[in-house]
Amino acid sequence: MFDIQIQDGGVIKLSGRFDAAQADHAKAMLQSVNRSATIDLTELDYVSSAGLGVLVQTYKRLHDSGYSLRLTNLKPRIRSVFVYAGLDKVLQLE
Amino acid sequence: MVERRFPRELGSLEPMTRFVAAYLDSRGLDPEHAFTVDLLIEELFTNMLKHGKGGGPEVSLCLAGEVAELSITLRDFDVESFDPTSAPPEPTRGDRGLGLRLVRQLSDSIRYEYKERSAVITVTKKVAL
Repeated sequence: MFDIQIQDGGVIKLSGRFDAAQADHAKAMLQSVNRSATIDLTELDYVSSAGLGVLVQTYKRLHDSGYSLRLTNLKPRIRSVFVYAGLDKVLQLE
Repeated sequence: MVERRFPRELGSLEPMTRFVAAYLDSRGLDPEHAFTVDLLIEELFTNMLKHGKGGGPEVSLCLAGEVAELSITLRDFDVESFDPTSAPPEPTRGDRGLGLRLVRQLSDSIRYEYKERSAVITVTKKVAL
């Protein structure tokens, strides 16, 4: 079960399993974000390259417009996926 | 060893995770291994869907091994050959190639075979109780 909630104040909460079957839905939701934002991953249990790709695309879109994207509260194994993919050097992980 | 066929579509990811959980439970393996096994399977499976031209209505997922090492095999039937192991080791552009990079990082071995129009990819992963 995957869920994405876009809250006031530029906070986005992802929860559950962010796999390839959820990528199109997440991408469409994140398209509505058009200023600096924080994605809270406290309740994210799983992410694959498809999920990473959506986050990278969102980061690039915002960055190209002069905005920032922070990812916060990553569980250790979620963080490890970002590290294995080499994205800890690209994205702002906190 | 257990083998099951799944429809060649993204909707198979969820039943595949249940298949993995049941296998780990039946072998007395730590369910925490499911995270890595699910990730390896998803990356290989979605790679098949994306790059395997043609392809039958189903793919086969085979899990083998006990304590120490798990073997994961995905077989795509009646498909053109596409060898993911021949891809460059680093993502080629932006977010492309991330899946294979994850597979290389998370697995202990990866092998591709193509025979009689079946593409077979096998990865192994060392595990502990």
